Amino acid sequence: MIKQVENPILEIHDLTVSYDQSPVLWNVDLSLPAGKLIGILGPNGAGKSTLIKSVMGLVEPSSGYVKLFDQTLDAVRNRISYVPQRESVDWNFPASVLDVVLMGTYGKLGLFKRPGKKEKALALDCLEKVGMSAFVHRQISELSGGQQQRVFIARALAQEADLYLMDEPFAGVDMNTEAAIFKLLQEMSAGGKTVVVVHHDIYSAVNYFDWFIMLNLHLVASGPKNEVVTEELLRKTYGGKLNLLSKVSELIRQKEFNPLKG
Amino acid sequence: MMSFDQNAFLIIFTASMIAISCGLLGVFMMLRKMSMTGDAISHAVLPGIVIGFLVSGTQRGLEVIIGAGILGILATLMIDWLRKKARVQLDASIGITFTLLFAIGIILISVFAYRVDLDQECVLYGEIAYLPIDLWISSSGQSFGPRIMWLAILNLLLVGVFITLFYKELKITSFDEKFGIVIGIPASAINLGLMSMVSYTTVSSFEAVGAILVVALLVVPPATAYLWTRDLRPLIQLTILTGILVSVVGYYLAYLFDSSIAGMMVTVAGIVFFLSVILTHKKFKFSLGTQKETQPFSS
Repeated sequence: MIKQVENPILEIHDLTVSYDQSPVLWNVDLSLPAGKLIGILGPNGAGKSTLIKSVMGLVEPSSGYVKLFDQTLDAVRNRISYVPQRESVDWNFPASVLDVVLMGTYGKLGLFKRPGKKEKALALDCLEKVGMSAFVHRQISELSGGQQQRVFIARALAQEADLYLMDEPFAGVDMNTEAAIFKLLQEMSAGGKTVVVVHHDIYSAVNYFDWFIMLNLHLVASGPKNEVVTEELLRKTYGGKLNLLSKVSELIRQKEFNPLKG
Repeated sequence: MMSFDQNAFLIIFTASMIAISCGLLGVFMMLRKMSMTGDAISHAVLPGIVIGFLVSGTQRGLEVIIGAGILGILATLMIDWLRKKARVQLDASIGITFTLLFAIGIILISVFAYRVDLDQECVLYGEIAYLPIDLWISSSGQSFGPRIMWLAILNLLLVGVFITLFYKELKITSFDEKFGIVIGIPASAINLGLMSMVSYTTVSSFEAVGAILVVALLVVPPATAYLWTRDLRPLIQLTILTGILVSVVGYYLAYLFDSSIAGMMVTVAGIVFFLSVILTHKKFKFSLGTQKETQPFSS
């Protein structure tokens, strides 16, 4: 079940990515609508992060191409924002929370220019949005996992983009933070931004996203929630983990899951 | 007996310039977890120096600096290639690369010994004590002072300009290189620029202080400063101060014991580092008791 859309904000065409000759993404072909909150689901090693990284040009595809806003990546870098996995950096780096969020403004500043008052005001505003105003001058080495994640999201907000790609922003954060981040993402998509999130917890995903991409090396499904969150497609995505899946379908039944009602 | 004459000043001043240049670059090498790459570069430039020397016929030629620069970048690329393409561990690829290139340099020196006024001793240890008698004399016969001092000043100037111009880019690519690439920062150019500066600094300093002290100055002052602060600006300032302290104390201790200045500077740097470890360890224990505040989430 792969639904293609008209005027996609992101178009991935026949994308194949391999590491050392073994493919980690196989022939992925999809298009995404603007203004949606989109979840990428799949088991470990399904290629979820690789998909985002190849959209961001961090991974070289063996074949296929990616178009954003109907253009190449280089033409629209300023309109795309990226939240890497929290573990991808060393948080002992000598910087304050504000320093890291200011890095989100570097792309638009260009070479040689330093962030000034305008950038600082923007960064403070973004920290406010993620509820980190009290930690502006805190050293990043003193933050908890959830706080680090919120700093990364604030940095992405400071990029002032139209399309946000987030790699596991909910990994290792507590329930409160997860709910707060999700509320923020909802507000962003209501404001016309497109947010694509790699997520590993299918239980909460069902509640969070309105468009789903299901991956397991191949693309299993891409489409609106009511059309793709079915037991059959989840089974195809997660393979033989039946135990897990029956729990999900149970969950869906319990909630009288009806997408038309919202 | 302590003394402060013009020669002492010149030596301390030059050593401080070199220490600051190395420290400034060393901060970013450390933050990129590439301190040992700096070590590798400082040894790997040797064949470049010898080839440059053979081409130009003098230690002072531009060819020497260019040769060293090329070898420094070659070493960086080789380490990178071994690690990424041949899947060799980082420490092993550094070890293989710089010993190989350094050995080639040693062979070149011994083969062309009759034409090259260079020896391994000089390359490894340097001799800053001879600095006041190696003067820069213009064609009209006027003396401008020690040649190596001018090299050190020029070096610091270039390093300072490089870091000031690309401060933002160096910072972001050191913290989160991938994010830097995504927002369009030319990360590999910045990296090569930094490596070139390290190569150049190595060459411009090795005559005075030798490759071993260059490595010590690249690694130890930043590592010492990092024990005391977790903020980039103070880290850089503290690195500079440590570099100067090491130069001053190192010089006078060498004078006192009538020994090698470069050797004494490395020793002082090591002692300062270990003192810092002990002192900051106590500070850390102390601060543990006072820093436990709960941070409520406000959204």
